[in-house]
Amino acid sequence: MSEQYEYILKTEHVSKRFGSLEVLKDINLSVKKGEVICIIGPSGAGKSTFLRSLNQLEKITSGKIFIRDELFLHRENDHTVDKLPKEKQQELLLEMGMVFQRFNLFPHKTVLQNVCEAPIVVKKEKKDAVEARARELLERVGLSEKADEYPSRLSGGQQQRVAIARALAMNPEIMLFDEPTSALDPELVGDVLKVMKELAQSGMTMLCVTHEMGFAREVADRVLFMADGIIAEEGVPEEIFTNPKAERTRNFLNAILDA
Amino acid sequence: MKKPDLKKYSKQIIWIAVIAVVCIVLAVLKPGREQLLSSTSPKMQKLIDEDKGSTRKRVTVTYNSLLIINYVSLSSSGANEMSERYVGFLGKVYPADAGAMKVVGQMVNYSYRMLGCGENLMHGAKLTILLTTLTVIFGLLLGTLLALGKISKKKILSRISGAYIFFFRGTPLLIQLFVVYFTVPGIFGFAWRDLFSSADAEAVYKGAFTAAAIAFALNSGAYCAEIVRSAIQSIDKGQFEASKALGMTYPQTMTRIIIPQSIRRMIPNVSNEFIMILKDASLVFAISLMDITTISKNIMTSEGSYLVFIPALVIYLLITAFFGFIFDKIEKKFSVYE
Repeated sequence: MSEQYEYILKTEHVSKRFGSLEVLKDINLSVKKGEVICIIGPSGAGKSTFLRSLNQLEKITSGKIFIRDELFLHRENDHTVDKLPKEKQQELLLEMGMVFQRFNLFPHKTVLQNVCEAPIVVKKEKKDAVEARARELLERVGLSEKADEYPSRLSGGQQQRVAIARALAMNPEIMLFDEPTSALDPELVGDVLKVMKELAQSGMTMLCVTHEMGFAREVADRVLFMADGIIAEEGVPEEIFTNPKAERTRNFLNAILDA
Repeated sequence: MKKPDLKKYSKQIIWIAVIAVVCIVLAVLKPGREQLLSSTSPKMQKLIDEDKGSTRKRVTVTYNSLLIINYVSLSSSGANEMSERYVGFLGKVYPADAGAMKVVGQMVNYSYRMLGCGENLMHGAKLTILLTTLTVIFGLLLGTLLALGKISKKKILSRISGAYIFFFRGTPLLIQLFVVYFTVPGIFGFAWRDLFSSADAEAVYKGAFTAAAIAFALNSGAYCAEIVRSAIQSIDKGQFEASKALGMTYPQTMTRIIIPQSIRRMIPNVSNEFIMILKDASLVFAISLMDITTISKNIMTSEGSYLVFIPALVIYLLITAFFGFIFDKIEKKFSVYE
């Protein structure tokens, strides 16, 4: 962790095509350690695709991805031009935790087992140590009494908090949130946002795709507005929310805030 | 983990206990072998007594005991040719040479033979159950490999698995059995019985059984592959993504996340496959193995008893019911998290 780097995560000219559909066009983004960035925008803008291509759930068509200033992957026209060796890639990917819209907890494992699975299996850590840490994390997300339940017994909000704990158990440097509250009933959103806020305040680097404007405004250091596969506008929350420059941003914010 | 909820099973437990108690009582009250043999006519009794001292037996005694009921048939040939049959039940001995008791006696005798009682594992229901169980176990292992091959991104693996499944589902099991039993040893110059010691009187049967188990497992592998594949593909894509995002490799994801969840979804289909194999196992008649079906056919041919097929059906149903119950329990056990 003592390595010196300027940007924990950086993309240059990232594009992604699904057949003839261009989902991402020339996305450039630099993230410094400790930054909290919220990505907002209409559906179909490519927000989730961008997030997913950062941790290789989607293969980018072209562009460069840097992690800790190292060229992680460079692709042009669906061909890999350059990349880190596989083990190094794997190691850097572990620095990214991901939280999904649909939680994706492992239904056949208890809450505690969900949190402990990856540290034990992937990092080969000792079971006792992992369990102790997992219980701390569950405490932190307010679910210590649910450790031995199966996910199906939990509400959506509780499941999502377990998912956050599960990602945190790998001690990532950066957390990616892919619309973490979109699948939740409105009354359950608050608990999840509270956990995310605390996480942001603790100094975690975060990249959140979200529709929660209040959260973005309060917590984010920077807000990106994405539309049609490009970053249409970027700035501090105050600026974006009170004085948006691009017309698309204005229309979007008006539509959302009126609703 | 939580203890199983006994209350939920209390009804079943009571039923099983009642049946067990009734069976035990009936078994205890069943007349013994000596009691049956001493109930014969004086003439037969005399022959039996004479036999006791000599090495040349003139009376052939067939004694079948089936837990709660037993049956004895005595016959002698030559000058004193005669035959007598008795059924023992609930402390009493009934003559079974005519009427309803004759039928009861026959049923006991046929069931005894079809169940393979008093024989080794290569006979009757024992053979059927052993062959079916081995087939499903190895079929599932092979099927899992084939399924992983078929969904693999490596074209060559996927093609090989696809071709295998196409071949074994597209040809009759009976011919596959013939190929394994006759063609393969023919080409490679060996005999299945040679796998076992030549001193072993059962070597022929053991060899045939080995061939049958291999042919059945190869065939079942193709069907199980489709069961496993459809179960794996029914698992939400998010499970793969979450595993990948946590840094798990493909083998780790498969063995720890996907396959354990698939098992739950496979069980109904595996149960179905089990029952299909149980019935397909009767094809072993073609390589002279004595399973339930072969024995019933032999009894029909040699004794002209058309009633033999009724206990055969009952035995199949009992086996199916028992394994259906087991699969049901397994499914419940795997469903705890749902």
